[in-house]
Amino acid sequence: MNEEIDEYDIYHQDFTTVSEWEVFVARIEEVLIDWRLSKSTMVKHSVENHAKKWFTKSEEISYQGQKFTLSYNYMNCKSKPESTEESSDKSLLVEIQDGLWEATTRFMDDSDESPFPVSNWFGLKQYLMLYPNVALVEGSLIKLVMSSLNIAFANVDCGVPLFVKIREHWQHTYLGFYEDNEYKISFDTIHLKRISNQCSHLTGLVGLFKSKIASPVALDAVVVSTKFSYELKDLDAFAWGQQTQSNEFLSIDGFDVKKLIELPFGCDKNPTKSVLLNAIWPKFRECTIVESSTFSDIDPLMAPTWTLTLKMRENINFQLSELIGKVMELLDNSYLLMDTLGLSKSLGLVNPLNKITEAPITISKLVKAAMGHGRHTSEFKGPISDELLMPLLYYIFPDAVEDGTHIYPPDLKMEFKQDGNGSKLCSYVKSSPEDCLVWRLSVTAAKLHDAGGLSYLAHLWYEFIQELQYRWEMQIPVPGIAEGTPNARTCLLHQKLQLLNCCIKRTIEGNVNTTGHSSEEEFFDCSEGEGAEEQPPWDRPVGRLHRLGEATLKNGAPLYVPRTQDPAPKTEDQLEEDAELMVRLGDDAKASELRARMMSASLLSDMEAFKAANPGAELCDFVRWYSPRDWKSDDGGALGERMLLPGNPWVEAWNVARPVPASRQRRLFDETREAEQILHFLRSRTVSGVAELLLPAIIRAGALRATQEGAIGSSASVGGVDARRTFEIAVRELYEAEKEACRMLCRRKVLGGGEEGQALDAAERARVLRAAGGVLPAVARREFTLRVRDATAPQLMRAALADDITIVGAFTERIVCL
Amino acid sequence: MSLTMDCVAKLKILLLGESGVGKSSIILAFTKGDYQAQFPATIGVDYNHKIMDVNGLKVKLGIWDTAGQERYRTLTTSFYREAHGAILVYDVSEPKTLAKLNEWVEELQVYTTNKNIVCLVVGNKIDKDRAVPREHGQAFAQKHRMLFIESSAKTQEGIHLAFEELTQKIIETPGLWEKDTSASNIRVTEEEAREQGGSCYETTCSIK
Ligand SMILES: Nc1nc2c(ncn2[C@@H]2O[C@H](COP(=O)(O)OP(=O)(O)O)[C@@H](O)[C@H]2O)c(=O)[nH]1
Ligand SMILES: [Mg+2]
Repeated sequence: MNEEIDEYDIYHQDFTTVSEWEVFVARIEEVLIDWRLSKSTMVKHSVENHAKKWFTKSEEISYQGQKFTLSYNYMNCKSKPESTEESSDKSLLVEIQDGLWEATTRFMDDSDESPFPVSNWFGLKQYLMLYPNVALVEGSLIKLVMSSLNIAFANVDCGVPLFVKIREHWQHTYLGFYEDNEYKISFDTIHLKRISNQCSHLTGLVGLFKSKIASPVALDAVVVSTKFSYELKDLDAFAWGQQTQSNEFLSIDGFDVKKLIELPFGCDKNPTKSVLLNAIWPKFRECTIVESSTFSDIDPLMAPTWTLTLKMRENINFQLSELIGKVMELLDNSYLLMDTLGLSKSLGLVNPLNKITEAPITISKLVKAAMGHGRHTSEFKGPISDELLMPLLYYIFPDAVEDGTHIYPPDLKMEFKQDGNGSKLCSYVKSSPEDCLVWRLSVTAAKLHDAGGLSYLAHLWYEFIQELQYRWEMQIPVPGIAEGTPNARTCLLHQKLQLLNCCIKRTIEGNVNTTGHSSEEEFFDCSEGEGAEEQPPWDRPVGRLHRLGEATLKNGAPLYVPRTQDPAPKTEDQLEEDAELMVRLGDDAKASELRARMMSASLLSDMEAFKAANPGAELCDFVRWYSPRDWKSDDGGALGERMLLPGNPWVEAWNVARPVPASRQRRLFDETREAEQILHFLRSRTVSGVAELLLPAIIRAGALRATQEGAIGSSASVGGVDARRTFEIAVRELYEAEKEACRMLCRRKVLGGGEEGQALDAAERARVLRAAGGVLPAVARREFTLRVRDATAPQLMRAALADDITIVGAFTERIVCL
Repeated sequence: MSLTMDCVAKLKILLLGESGVGKSSIILAFTKGDYQAQFPATIGVDYNHKIMDVNGLKVKLGIWDTAGQERYRTLTTSFYREAHGAILVYDVSEPKTLAKLNEWVEELQVYTTNKNIVCLVVGNKIDKDRAVPREHGQAFAQKHRMLFIESSAKTQEGIHLAFEELTQKIIETPGLWEKDTSASNIRVTEEEAREQGGSCYETTCSIK
């Protein structure tokens, strides 16, 4: 350093010379501190025994252009508020040591579900892992990283073992350490692609173990556990009888619709790759059994314990997940679905400014079939042949044919359980009533998409909308949809169809009323004086529904409740728009007033109807019916105080309201416009938009299928995430369920109802041995765990030998203070 | 946790109950600390918001005021969807208003889309002569497993506490709300497939 400090230098600090290495160390320290992993700041955790689950926090760190992920992996624990005393060095160390000892009851190829195997090898409940995104193979770089970790660990006085993954990723080689004032534990891994002579047998491994322990070990003190595994392949006992589904229906004639629309489930081929027979000696002294390069005591038939493990094939296709996965992929496709058929233009979808009514209207396939000229017309011909298409359409619209094979359940209702207990698989995906039209359409669409690709899906969608269009024009309600106005608890497609049915029903009612002359009031009272003034004369009441009890107007006349217009039914996307608009207006008084005006349409309509039914009525009469708590009985009726406020919107509305019966008012709900909009909405969806409409029912139908196959309900509760995310979670859950169901099936077949990893009794051992043909094949994998408690601490070494060898060790040494 | 401290959750709260019990006044008291003896009757639905601090977490409350009149039921219920919490208000000086709350409880059951929506019963206007004993309100809340509090929009008593308790409870209810960022309780971790010789990576979701 320069001795003569320049005057100016005092006020400047130059950090450009700080090395990248220092930054790296500082960054690691920063993250460790942020996660509160110093021994002094750590909260004492106690692991809950019942549901062990791993959690991960992670941060990206880069060094020398290399990206690392530093993660903190810990088992779910409940922080004990009672014992807030800081975790002492001692208890942290004891926890690790206890874990090491405990780990020896398991084997290296067991899984504890944590992201890295180190926790299972060493019995750790928490650990830090520095994971290089590109494998760390160069020796000098590994050294540098290790020493950085050492420094950061010491500076922070970290309380969690810290590992780094080295070598090629597939080698699963980890270096780690833990340190306090007195002790240092080193966690090592060696992976060799070829087994060296010394390490190839127990005797050699014991020698290696002893040489690694610094302090002298008493003779025969090492305790050994051993597992020898034998791979039983291609045995008849493990044959596979699962039916696979194919898309054959596309070519055969004489379709069974039920088959066509059934969701597949499970694996398409035997998922069992092989069965591992594990011969286990849980615990013996090093001298009791000899296994050296020249001699072996090991006889699997003599092993105290036998267990079986299934090895599942990798890359198995789970049919349901695959089918749904294909639909999920569509979520990234933002082209118009009708483009797939080249129809966007003729449907008027290309230019969004085109009026929707200009869309050409073609007759539905079903109608033409009924009229007997199905295939002779020269109109649009999609990729799906009529032989296939027609039965599918009849399945979705069973009321179009008279045989009644596939009619919908009569009372479609959404079940909705208040309490979340025992909820069904994927029940957080908002769907529609089981086996309603939306389910049939969605599942059929998924199957067709699986079989014939996007154009098949598009063709079905096209025909579906054509049929809706026809039904709207002919006023035939859509079947298989829950009664009533759009139910916000059902999926959007179901709501849209409910709304379309509302439109159809209102039109039918309107037609009946105008033609029937049955109601006591005339809708078009063209009675006296044609072309006279629009309003009925003041003295002639119109649109009365019934009297309001004994109530009278202020002027003494009886008070009549008028016929009113129902508010417009809306689907959730429309409601969302309304709500958004209201929120966007802001928070001040002005905004509030604007909102009141937005909301006033139905108030005004009701006031007009009231005036028409009660000539000569005053606002207080209206309020008596409409908002009784704002009405006072004083002298024949008076307004409550808040109704008398100047500028009050109620008064304003009353002043502009003219006496017009509901039947002659402008419709609050314009069913023609709504219906056209729904049809346009469905036609103009992008591929991803259609997938989003179909996925809820596909997923729920899949979940139902999985449940029938024995999958259990989920504990997942999903809130507030967007639709796509919800789908992803559900699909993942279905995948797990399907995988588990396959595993279960294999277990049943292979283990005859027993659990994997469970010790076999004598009869079962005999059965397995018989199935293997009386002799076991050559050993496929050997595992040894060596442990000893020396003067310092427990010392542990484990080795797994197959074609390659992995040796891991946890060695504790006392730090010598000088 | 400290890294995601400033993320904001958005919660939707409904105010329900007979007209005139003081719903709009409660919102005014809570959002502006104000009170007006005369306040125009709400038409349909109105909206307000306030940012609140709960356990160091900033929470934006979108508060939906509703008109209590019979005729507005269809309109107001259409705003129930995706609400996280509901405040059911009655007037302690008018026994009928408590009895009427049953109707809103039923409606909530029909129209809310969140299964575990949190409800709070508020007995308002305690500055006035009381006609409903506190125990009646408590019994109602207990029967329906809801929170309970008494308040006065006029004196501000209990107003803040009401919103605090409700929000706190919502935050504690799993699966009801979500942080308003990508940091959700569904974590996607790159997990190594630890199968034999597995060099492939698998993405897993774990759901808390
Ligand atoms: N004394 C008293 N009056 C109140 C209180 N809260 C509201 N009010 C009055 O009750 C009337 C109706 O209140 P408002 O908030 O409009 O009721 P809403 O119809 O439920 O929205 C108004 O005149 C308010 O001033 C309160 O806590 N104490
Ligand atoms: Mg109000």
